[in-house]
Formats: sequence, structure tokens, C-alpha cells
Amino acid sequence: MDRDLAKARAGDEGAFAALVTGHQKSVFGLALRMLGSAHLAEDIAQEVFMQLHAKLASIESSEHLRFWLRRITAHRAIDELRRNSVLKFTSLEGEAQLIGAEDPGDPLLQTKLRSTLLRLSPHARAVVTLRYQDDLDPLEIARILDMPVNTVKSHLKRSLEIMRESLKDHAS
Amino acid sequence: MSDDLENQLRAALRPVEPSAGFAARVMARVEAEQRRQARRRWRIPASLAASILLGLGLYLRVHQQRETAAGLEARRQVIEALHLTDEKLDLAYQTVKEASGS
Repeated sequence: MDRDLAKARAGDEGAFAALVTGHQKSVFGLALRMLGSAHLAEDIAQEVFMQLHAKLASIESSEHLRFWLRRITAHRAIDELRRNSVLKFTSLEGEAQLIGAEDPGDPLLQTKLRSTLLRLSPHARAVVTLRYQDDLDPLEIARILDMPVNTVKSHLKRSLEIMRESLKDHAS
Repeated sequence: MSDDLENQLRAALRPVEPSAGFAARVMARVEAEQRRQARRRWRIPASLAASILLGLGLYLRVHQQRETAAGLEARRQVIEALHLTDEKLDLAYQTVKEASGS
């Protein structure tokens, strides 16, 4: 990946396309989980990669690239949620196509969890998605979202309580 | 329960691939943006060149008009001078004619 990054920084468009392919799952996934709309998530993800293309010179390493992509995607999705209040209580557009036959676990339960995620505040959605999609610890999440680590922990605690409550409703 | 919930969340929020051709769509937008920026880069020099040409054209036209006006004024002055000369020659002829007649 570092080789692709170096080549992309030197102007190799093929290497940049390889970077996009390598990170599209994480970027699109983060936007999708936060926005609940595959169409909007695609748009945000494309814009993030366009911004990356313009800022390639300032990206120092693969680790920096991952950090940068998560940060920009999360902040863009938060901005989109603030701008578009309809998304705050959106349905899961395109949810059916996102549940594959190979997915482990209970699909209905997972749909319930994703729906509950979309009832959380924009920042809480970002915290929960970064924690459980990308397996990041609270300190890394705090750096990405520019918030104190204790705020991240309280978002996580509160969000898990809400999730637990929603699962109780689901079980009953 | 908490671990189970967290595992369920990991499964529910696993990363998702966008629809096929995503990277190609990004590259198409990148290329379109580069073309747009290239056009914008040329817009200022082109506007500058057009302004210089327009200014030069205006300057030449004003200069030409001034020269035309100066030429007309010179022509008027020559005609006036010839007219005065003509009058003086007439007067001299009349004076000589009267002197030779008397």
C-alpha cells in the first residue's frame, strides 16, 4: 500500500485507483452506516476520494492515509446529517442489498441494530461505527473525531444502552 | 450480554463494498475535475490576453482618429492659406492693373 501511495503521489493514476479500491470498503461502509442511504454514502465516499486526490502530497504514510480517510468521511457524514434533518430518522434505504447470504448471525437482529444506530446523534453514530466497523479503540476514535476520550466513552456507553433497550423490544 | 451485543454490532456494522465500478466512477470524477481546473487555469491568461488585444485595438483606433483629425486640420489650414494667397494675388493684380491704366 505504501508503494501505491508513493506512486500515486508521483502522479500515477493507476496507483491512485488501487488506493481507492483498497480503502473503498471502509470509507463507503462508514458513510453508509452513518447515513443509512447507499446513494448518499456513495456520493460522500466519491467526494472523500476526490479530496484525497487533491491532498495526496500531504499524506505521509499508509497509517496517515487510513486516519485521514476515516476523519474526512466521518466529518462529512456528520455535516450531511446536520444539513439534512430528514436523515436523522431515515429508513435503511438499500438495506436488502446489504445483507448477503454469507453474513453471519441473525439478519433481522442486525437490521434492528442498524436501524437503532440511525436513531443516535451524528457523533454517536460515528463513534459506534468506528468502534465496531473498524475495531478502533476510544483513543483513536477521539483523535479522528476531535473530541475528548471521555466523551467517546460516554457516547459508547449510552449508545450500547440504547441498543440493548432496542433488542429487548426486538425479543419481546 | 455486553460481549454478545458487541459481537452482534460487529456483525451488523461490518464494512460494506460499494456497488461494482466504484473506483472507475471516482476516477471519472477526478478526471472531470482535472479538466475543469485546466480550463480555469487558462481562463485568466486568456482573459488577460483578450483585454490587452482590446486595449491595443482601442489605442490604435483613437490614435488613428487623432491623426485623421490632425490631417484634416492641416488640410484646412493649407486651403485657408491658399485662399489668403489668392486674395492677395488678386489685390496685387488689381493694384498693378490700376497703376498701368492711369
